[in-house]
Amino acid sequence: MSKSIKRSKKAALILMVPTATLLLAGCGSEEPVQTAVYQNAEECAAFYNPPAECQAEFAKAQQLHAQVAPKYQSKTECETDFGIGNCETPATAAVSTDPNAPVQQQQQASSGFFMPMMMGFLAGQMLNRGGAGQAAPQKSVPTQPLYKSRDDQGTYRTASNQPVARKSGVTSVMPSQMQPKAGTVVRRGGFGAQAQQRQSMTSGG
Amino acid sequence: MKKIAIEQRPGWQDYAESVGFDFHTFDGEPYWDETGYYQFSLEQIENDIEAPTEELHQMALSLIPDILADEQKLIALDVPAAYWDWLAESWRTSQPHLYGRLDLAYNGQGPAKLLELNYDTPTSLFETGFFQWVWLEDQQMRGRLPQGADQFNSLQDKLEQAFAEMPLRQPCYFSSVDGNIEDKGTINYLMDIASQAGIDARYLPLEQLGEIDGQLVDSQNFPIQAMFKLYPWEFMLREEFGSHLLTSDTQWLEPAWKMLLSNKGILPLLWQKFQNHPNLLPAFFETKDSQSMAPGWVRKPLYSREGANIELIDLQGKRLVVDGPYTDAPFIRQAFTPLPTFDNSFTLIGSWLVGDSAAGIGIREDATLITKDSSRFLPHIILD
Repeated sequence: MSKSIKRSKKAALILMVPTATLLLAGCGSEEPVQTAVYQNAEECAAFYNPPAECQAEFAKAQQLHAQVAPKYQSKTECETDFGIGNCETPATAAVSTDPNAPVQQQQQASSGFFMPMMMGFLAGQMLNRGGAGQAAPQKSVPTQPLYKSRDDQGTYRTASNQPVARKSGVTSVMPSQMQPKAGTVVRRGGFGAQAQQRQSMTSGG
Repeated sequence: MKKIAIEQRPGWQDYAESVGFDFHTFDGEPYWDETGYYQFSLEQIENDIEAPTEELHQMALSLIPDILADEQKLIALDVPAAYWDWLAESWRTSQPHLYGRLDLAYNGQGPAKLLELNYDTPTSLFETGFFQWVWLEDQQMRGRLPQGADQFNSLQDKLEQAFAEMPLRQPCYFSSVDGNIEDKGTINYLMDIASQAGIDARYLPLEQLGEIDGQLVDSQNFPIQAMFKLYPWEFMLREEFGSHLLTSDTQWLEPAWKMLLSNKGILPLLWQKFQNHPNLLPAFFETKDSQSMAPGWVRKPLYSREGANIELIDLQGKRLVVDGPYTDAPFIRQAFTPLPTFDNSFTLIGSWLVGDSAAGIGIREDATLITKDSSRFLPHIILD
C-alpha cells in the first residue's frame, strides 16, 4: 500500500488575505515622476544611457505606434493635424519596423488609414538610475511613441495629445496622463451578453 | 466510503470571510457544510477515482483529433463553422490547458460512472483546494480527526506548479462577469496561486475587455497577451466580439480546444469509441426521430451548467426537471445511474485534473438527483 501523501504540502494565500489590501494602497494624490524623452535610440544613447536599453525601449515604443497613433481616413486630414509629409500608413510603419512585426500590424496594412509618424519616444522604464539623487523607487510610466503636431512642432505629445516635453532628455510627467490610448475608437462590452440574458446563472459549472 | 458527523469549527464563517470565501452561505442556505464529512479508503481513492479520472481524461483527449477531422462531429457538437480552423490551430500548436473537473457517480464500490466533464469553466475550486484543506488541518489540530487522516487534494500544489511551468504570456489577465461574487471568488483564488508562481496576474471584468482593429485590449488599450476567462467558450463565440477571437493575438486559458470537451456531446462520442468501458454510461445524440424518453434516461443540453435544463426519469419512472436558460442547443441522452444517498442526500464527486494529472476531489450533496449551483459542498478525508 503506497503511503504517499495525497494532499497539498501547503495551501497559502497571499492576495486573498486582509494584508493584501496593502498592495492596493496608494490611490490618493498623484505625484509627478521623472522620465525621459528622446527622438530615437541614437539620441537616447547620446544622453549616456546604455545603447542596448535605448534600442529596446525604442523598439517597444515603435511596436505600440501602430496601435495607439491617432488614425485618419485620408492623408489630407492627417496632414492637417501633423504637417505635410508627416503621415504614413500602418503598412509603411510595419515595414520600417521589425520584420517579425505582430500579425496585428500586417492586418492593418489593408485597412487603408493614415497616422502621424512617430517623432520620438518616452523611455518610461529606463530612468531609475542617476537622476537628482532621488533614490526612492518611483512609479514608472509606460514606454510609448510621441508625436508633434503641425501647429506646435516644438512639443513632444503623446498619442492622446498630452504635451510631454519641449526638448529631449529628462522630464517630469503625471503618470495618469501618460497612459497610451488607442488611436481608433475602442469598443467595449462585446462579451458578457449571455450572462445578462441568462441571469441568475454563474459562468462556472 | 461513508459519511460521518462532526462538530463544526466554532466561528468558521468569520474565518471564511477573512480569506475571501464570501459565498459560504447562499440565499440563507449553507453552501459550505461541515456538519459532516466523507471518509474514503486509500484504495478507493487510488483505484476507483484517481486512476479512472486520468484514464477518462486520456480517452477524452483522444477524441479531439477525431472530432477535428470530421465535420459531422463538429456539427453535432454545434461548433460554428467560422471557428473550426482557429480551434484546430489551438490544438495543433498544443496550447496548454490548466484544469478540469469530471463529475462522477460513485458509492464506494464498483466503477465510478462519468456523468459529465466540466472542462471549460469548472468551479468550486477554492472550496476544494483551499478551504477543505484548512478544515482537515484545523480538525486535526483540535484532535477531532486522527493525525493519520489524509485528503485527496493536491489541487493547489498542482495549480501552482502548472502556472510556474506552463508557457504563459504575461501579463496574464483573469476575467469574469462583473458582479458575480462566486465567479470572482474562483478568479481571486486562481490569481493568488498564479501570483505565488511568479505570474503577473491582473483582473479585468469581462465587460471591460476592449477591441481595436481585431485585437482585444485591456482598459488602457494595451493588447491582451494572455487571458484566463471564467466565461463559457460557447457564449464567447456567439457574442459581439466573437469574431475578434480569430484575429486577436491572445493566449487563452482554457485554450479553445477545451470547448470540445466541455460540451455534453462528448459523452455520446466517448460511448461510440469506448463502448462498454466500465466508467462510461451509454449515451447518444437526440435527433428528430428520437422517441420520447423512457425510464432510466437523462436528457441534457449540449451546453449546460449547474444542472440547468436537465430532465431525468429514474428507474421507477419518476420524472425530475430543472428549468434553465439552455433551451436553444441540441440535447443528448445518457443512461441514468443513481447517485448514492447518505442521510437522505444525493452525493456527487467532482474529480479534478490539473493539466493531465488527477488532483483531488470535492463532494457535493443535494436533496434531489440533479446537482445544482446551490448543492452543498462537504469535505472529505482518507483514512484506512
